[in-house]
Amino acid sequence: MLYKSLVYKFKEIIKENGTIFTEEDQLACYSYDAYAEIPVLPDIVVKPSNYEQIEKIIKLCNDANIPLITRGAGTNLSGGTVPKTGGCVLLTTGFNKILEINENDLYAVVQSGVVTANLAKAVESKGLFYPPDPGSMNISTIGGNVAENAGGLRGLKYGVTKDYVMGINFFCPEGNYVKSGGKTVKLVTGFNLQGLMVSSEGMLGVMTDITLKLIPKPKTSRSMLVLFKDMITACEMVSAIIAAKIVPATLEFLDNFTINTVEEASKIGLPTDAGALLLIEVDGYEGQVEEEFSKILEISQKMGGELKVANSLEERNKIWEARRKALSSLARLKPTLILEDATVPRSRIPEMMRRIQAITKKYDLTIGTFGHAGDGNLHPTILTDRRNKAEMERVEKAIDEIFEAALELEGTLSGEHGVGTAKAKYLEKEVGKGTIIYMKKLKNGTDPKNILNPHKMGL
Amino acid sequence: MDDIINELKELEELTIQCMKCGTCQAHCPLYQKDLEETTVARGKIALIEAVFEGRIEKASSILKHLDYCLLCGRCKINCPSGVKTDEIFLKAKAILRKIEKLPTWGKLVLKIVIEKPELLAKLSPLIHIGQRFGSKKIKKNILKPLISSFSERNVYPIKSKPFCSEFGGFHKAKEEKLRAIFYPGCAINMIFTDWGRKIIEILNHYGVSVYTPEVNRCCGIPAATLGEIGIYKNMIIENYKFFNTIDAEYIITACPTCQYGLHEMGEKITREYVKKKYYDIMIFIEEVLGIELESITDEKITLHLPCHYDQSKEPKLNNVIKKLGTNFAPMENRNCCGFGGTFNIKNYKNSRQIGKTKAEEVMEKGYKKVLSPCPGCVMQLTDSIYGENLLDVEITHPIELVYDAIFKKRQ
Ligand SMILES: Cc1cc2nc3c(=O)[nH]c(=O)nc-3n(C[C@H](O)[C@H](O)[C@H](O)COP(=O)(O)OP(=O)(O)OC[C@H]3O[C@@H](n4cnc5c(N)ncnc54)[C@H](O)[C@@H]3O)c2cc1C
Ligand code: SF4
Ligand code: SF4
Ligand code: SF4
Repeated sequence: MLYKSLVYKFKEIIKENGTIFTEEDQLACYSYDAYAEIPVLPDIVVKPSNYEQIEKIIKLCNDANIPLITRGAGTNLSGGTVPKTGGCVLLTTGFNKILEINENDLYAVVQSGVVTANLAKAVESKGLFYPPDPGSMNISTIGGNVAENAGGLRGLKYGVTKDYVMGINFFCPEGNYVKSGGKTVKLVTGFNLQGLMVSSEGMLGVMTDITLKLIPKPKTSRSMLVLFKDMITACEMVSAIIAAKIVPATLEFLDNFTINTVEEASKIGLPTDAGALLLIEVDGYEGQVEEEFSKILEISQKMGGELKVANSLEERNKIWEARRKALSSLARLKPTLILEDATVPRSRIPEMMRRIQAITKKYDLTIGTFGHAGDGNLHPTILTDRRNKAEMERVEKAIDEIFEAALELEGTLSGEHGVGTAKAKYLEKEVGKGTIIYMKKLKNGTDPKNILNPHKMGL
Repeated sequence: MDDIINELKELEELTIQCMKCGTCQAHCPLYQKDLEETTVARGKIALIEAVFEGRIEKASSILKHLDYCLLCGRCKINCPSGVKTDEIFLKAKAILRKIEKLPTWGKLVLKIVIEKPELLAKLSPLIHIGQRFGSKKIKKNILKPLISSFSERNVYPIKSKPFCSEFGGFHKAKEEKLRAIFYPGCAINMIFTDWGRKIIEILNHYGVSVYTPEVNRCCGIPAATLGEIGIYKNMIIENYKFFNTIDAEYIITACPTCQYGLHEMGEKITREYVKKKYYDIMIFIEEVLGIELESITDEKITLHLPCHYDQSKEPKLNNVIKKLGTNFAPMENRNCCGFGGTFNIKNYKNSRQIGKTKAEEVMEKGYKKVLSPCPGCVMQLTDSIYGENLLDVEITHPIELVYDAIFKKRQ
């Protein structure tokens, strides 16, 4: 609860076209995000209508020692927007304008609340391409994408959000306006502060405008599904494709459990005895696409994969359905779904899959795994019921072990979902003490009162 | 109070399915407009949980958020987790209604629902999936805001002779092959009586004998959206009783909301069912009758898919319309038309804002016919499109074109 006089100050700041929520029912709608965690109500929620209001809110929070949690669409999977100790939630959803799409210099300038898919669509209508495509792109905001360094299905060939960030304007935790990067490909004036904003999880600044690199849209693409008896051969196929010097735009896989679940839910004709499924898409110029496509066909035949090739847009959609339905089919099995994103070097996927299977057995859980075979980013998806205390304890242990396995295989805790509160306790194990100290100093130096999104990453 | 919380807790089986992924944001017409979590299904579900898990003290405070909803079902259709949002919202409202009693005007509406079917018939098309009726701004006299806010609209007049008074009874086909009940619903009964007549003629023409009720009993959806599940239940049971007395295999509707109220939600709430097959008229002529149709126009035609239309039947619906005209494309903007029954009455500006996006597409693409198999949609689209001064556009139920094609009424 904030003192009335403070609430009044907030109201004064955003009285022009802004929105303010102070009732418990309204606050409860900002107590959670897409990570399964106990919700915590903020004390106040503000939706400013211009940048000046943001500046004043930050300064007020600093003066009054109120935690400030920036929130886009609230779809992050690591508890990044849950106001751990209350405070003020600042919504960026109103800042949803695409300010510029520059076809000559190949960049776009957007406000941080622009929804990813809206940018992708706008850019595409000009024959250009913004590749990062997180599964949540129809809802997630660009600000959230940058703050979590969101990835997607095209990571292998096109990289992730960080590879497209050219410049960012943001308010620092004390309310100063910081301009970093810009519209030129080459730019070396001052620290690479836009880089600092990537993966900052709302802890180092509140972003307002983001300049993103665009590339020409690939002329054409082709997709195929390949089914394998076992996971190992599927992974060998992935390696063989890369060894043939082909980088597909998409290289996704589903494990046997996920294949079965998808088939059961939507009857699209997947063989339920398949050990693994690969969804492969190559894109680029016509000649090159055809060449790569037939090479991959050859490889898959050699390796004994069962093929389904898309020859039309309709067939492409059918093929993609298996992957698109993965998460939703799993989600319907049990009440609670925990989506992990442990990531290992590509060549270690078979080993990681073996470990996940062993862990599933050991703790008697239901886990379906799918993910981005091309970049080693796996999504072991734990299906459970959060009301079942005993099982939840086993889930926790299983997650611990999944992380341990990922680290042992020289991977990482999180390929794209971020640390937030979900992975805070494991962070030091991966990055080491020195890194944590450095991060703390960085945070402390820019945000001495620890106002911006406190307690995340354990800071 | 504890009872309320316990009753809400019984919804946990349904609410726990929600994984808070937020996907519904992309599909909720109200979220798209407001960009606030209080409007979207995820927020509404979180609120119900917050009450029974003890994070919110004042249970009644969440009712207004549940009421601010078109009940368009888009969140449900697009939910990756299969959350039954409609069932959750209706049940939660019914529970909360016990502490937040209906205001006088609400009681009046329900009195009409039960005792004055003729009067209800006049109101129901406007509140067929109505909500926001509970807003404080509507004072005691429900008719007043209806009238005053209608002065600026492009609306159809209410017919002096309802469809059921004119066409109630049995219409035997010459060479009878099948028998069906045609359930007109309030809108066809009172406003689009012509559609009803044409449906009977078409069905008779193809050997389907048709029963129509002599008094139109409301499907009860307006009561349900006011949180009066008990009354809704009774209305459904009344209708089921009527259906059961009729010797027919099919129940045909021409309004997806009626069908939703009678069939999908009706069975869920009453746990009773009628041993007959429910069909939307368009799907009936395609799937059951398999009517061959000749193209009657090369004007640009489009189709707006109503919220409660069975989405899996969309390709079939498109098929029929493709036969009717050579130049057909479904609307790109797949959002709700923004009508939402009382939402339109109470939030005319908001409703119109949503409707306007539809009109813009019609203008941009130069459509001359806008079809939608839902009376509510036709009313809303008419208002929005005429509101943008596109007066040469014809907006109607596709069954009218089917009729013309069969009976060669146009070239
Ligand atoms: C179904 C589903 C699928 C998903 N698929 C993927 C996927 O394929 N790949 C992937 O990487 N992620 C995925 N995610 C996770 C999530 O969508 C991403 O992390 C996304 O980038 C979050 O965006 P958001 O707008 O929801 O941010 P929020 O959840 O609102 O915020 C996330 C973090 O960013 C900070 N933040 C937001 N805006 C700003 C700003 N303007 N300035 C400073 N900080 C800010 C917040 O403080 C918070 O710490 C998925 C999530 C779901 C629910
Ligand atoms: S889409 Fe479904 S599961 Fe996701 S938040 Fe909305 S209601 Fe919940
Ligand atoms: S029913 Fe429609 S208006 Fe209501 S929450 Fe769902 S999508 Fe939004
Ligand atoms: S009129 Fe049609 S589209 Fe509009 S709210 Fe009703 S069912 Fe939905």
